[in-house]
Amino acid sequence: MMKSQFLFPYWCRYLGWGLVLAHVPISMLGRANGMLNIMDSPPGIHDVFSGEHLFFIGTTLLMSSGLFLVAFAKEKIEDEQIWQIRLDSLRWAIYVNYIILITSLVFINDTGHILELNLWVPLIFFIIRFRWVIFRLNCSLSREG
Amino acid sequence: MKNNIRVERAIKNITQGELAGQVGVSRQTINTIESNKYVPSTVLALKIARVFGKPLEAIFMLEEGD
Repeated sequence: MMKSQFLFPYWCRYLGWGLVLAHVPISMLGRANGMLNIMDSPPGIHDVFSGEHLFFIGTTLLMSSGLFLVAFAKEKIEDEQIWQIRLDSLRWAIYVNYIILITSLVFINDTGHILELNLWVPLIFFIIRFRWVIFRLNCSLSREG
Repeated sequence: MKNNIRVERAIKNITQGELAGQVGVSRQTINTIESNKYVPSTVLALKIARVFGKPLEAIFMLEEGD
């Protein structure tokens, strides 16, 4: 009944959280050593695989691929209701993302940070909304006993 | 849409978890269907009816306003 869904296996959720956590010390170390996020500096001044570029890969990309794995890993039992909650949360994430994107394009003259915002908002909003709905489902389940 | 899964479960003496296992969904899904918070797909509704050995309309029925 359920067709192939292009989701990562269940264990990828833990791998994803691992990557998100791993990004924290790398980011702190790098900043302590005076590294700047590539998005905070003017475009085109860093070579590919320069220190700054590697720092960027070690932080921003580690974090976003981690969040991506968390967001799109299968649930233990991936049934049609989970699938519906997933789609619904994605729809909300896109709405929120575009509302923020459009208002910030109108009011803020800083495309670098808008790009960064655009990188995080859909994934983070999706994860929070998806987990929150499942959490509430589990709450109503334990009330029923 | 209303349903009487809870009654049918009581007659057959099976838990939400057992029914969930037989139709291949989570216990949460059966629970939300029973409390009318989630409308199952046609395939899932047919599977549930088959577990109880009854026609679909004996388990699921339209409500006023549907």
